[in-house]
Amino acid sequence: MSAAAASPATGAAPRPWPWRGVLLPLAILAVWQALGMLGGNVRTPLPTRVVAAARDLIASGDLPWGIAQSLGRVFLGFAVAALIAIPLGLAMGAFRSIERNVDPLIESFRPIAAIAILPLAILWLGTGTAAAVMIVAYAAFFPIVVNTVAGAGRVEPTLLRAAATMGLSRFATLRTVVIPAALPAIGVGLRIGMGVAWTAIIAAELAVGAKAGGGTTGGIGQMMFVFYAYSIELNRIVVCMIAVGLVALVLDRAIRLGMRLLMPWAPRP
Amino acid sequence: MAVFFVVWALIARGTANPILLPSPLAVGEAFAALAGDGELFRHAGISFGRMLISVGIAAAIAIPLGLAMGLSRTLDAIVDPTIEVLRPISGIAWIPLALFIFGIGNALPVFIMTYTAFFPILLGTVAGVHGVDRKLIDAARTMGVPYRAIVTRVVAPAALPSLLVALRLGVAASWTAVVAAELIGAPSGLGYAVEWYRELLATPQVMGFIAMIGILGYLTDRAVRALATRFTPWAVETRQAHS
Repeated sequence: MSAAAASPATGAAPRPWPWRGVLLPLAILAVWQALGMLGGNVRTPLPTRVVAAARDLIASGDLPWGIAQSLGRVFLGFAVAALIAIPLGLAMGAFRSIERNVDPLIESFRPIAAIAILPLAILWLGTGTAAAVMIVAYAAFFPIVVNTVAGAGRVEPTLLRAAATMGLSRFATLRTVVIPAALPAIGVGLRIGMGVAWTAIIAAELAVGAKAGGGTTGGIGQMMFVFYAYSIELNRIVVCMIAVGLVALVLDRAIRLGMRLLMPWAPRP
Repeated sequence: MAVFFVVWALIARGTANPILLPSPLAVGEAFAALAGDGELFRHAGISFGRMLISVGIAAAIAIPLGLAMGLSRTLDAIVDPTIEVLRPISGIAWIPLALFIFGIGNALPVFIMTYTAFFPILLGTVAGVHGVDRKLIDAARTMGVPYRAIVTRVVAPAALPSLLVALRLGVAASWTAVVAAELIGAPSGLGYAVEWYRELLATPQVMGFIAMIGILGYLTDRAVRALATRFTPWAVETRQAHS
């Protein structure tokens, strides 16, 4: 997909304008601003008002603090998920008997969305950080475990046979052959897991805000709900949405970068 | 699996508090009762219908757009940055704004699910078109096949497997979003039912509905996979999905 020649439709254009990707977003922003100014009222979110709201929210420290709170929960839940999922996944990938016993259990919980567990989490752990961490851990667990199993199960058989021929113990084989071979797949699992974890925390904070009568647990999802339900600040909601997107992007890029530095042999995602 | 149920039953007996953790038997009974009076299927039908509509709308927009973007470098260069800017904003994050625009009702979950399903389907379609073997297109061109026919007879069938994988991802993503959307902003559906029974502290019913969410999600995934086997039995993606 790199060369212009990859398309059967257009011949290679002489010199495509490099900034044409900016046209559509700018057009959307312009139409949005124009429509809002023509037909909107004081509350209508407009690009200019969103920028002003963003400046307020950042200056007052509300937005950075909300993001920090949400990120703290995500990292905690993510760490819990990784600590359980990676060893379990390696064991499942390395030993058929473990996989045969655990896999049906994982597969029967996988289609249940993390947010569906939220009522149970609230019931067991209240509406605070613990419930949010549980949701995040549950959400991140599945991509990590599934990818780890796939990575550990797809080790080159020649390598395993070579290790067996040289008399390596099972544990040594796991440590020196299986884990390095599975690392790229684990990295992919961690990246996907981080993505769903971030989505899950927003959902959890929103739902807690919606269903637990406001609450004071904080986080960016909760902030959005407060702007919706109590102060009706649509511009601020849009700021939060953009922030959610930016954080998701930064997390994804950070994990990609980390993988590239730690595992230069891994195929580029 | 059996071990899981035994452990669950033992813990439930240990805590001896049916609100915190009902026994598997109680959940089974609640599930049967909800299924018996039709409430379970009513909510499941509503959620499932919303999901079908959403995926239908998303596919109706994303597949033609994805085909066009895959075929035209120019269109891809113009639209792709916008897509990449919007994509990290999860459907869930749209809920407060969408609540304000649509209010509580059918439109909100359908909007959220359509948005969520849109991106995987679009990206999968674009990748599918890009992945089409150049030699097939060149061969068709050499034989003087008109451009329209190349698209419908060569590119579309070759991109179909990847498109079906994308559809599967889209369905899974929107099914995840339905619960969140209904939990917060719909007067019916599985997400609403789960929350309703939580407020009543009727944990067996909550777990019954959660099980139904899992079962339906699993069955839908199977159905889309079956579709892939039926229509693209030759494809590598199809075979991988089953191994």
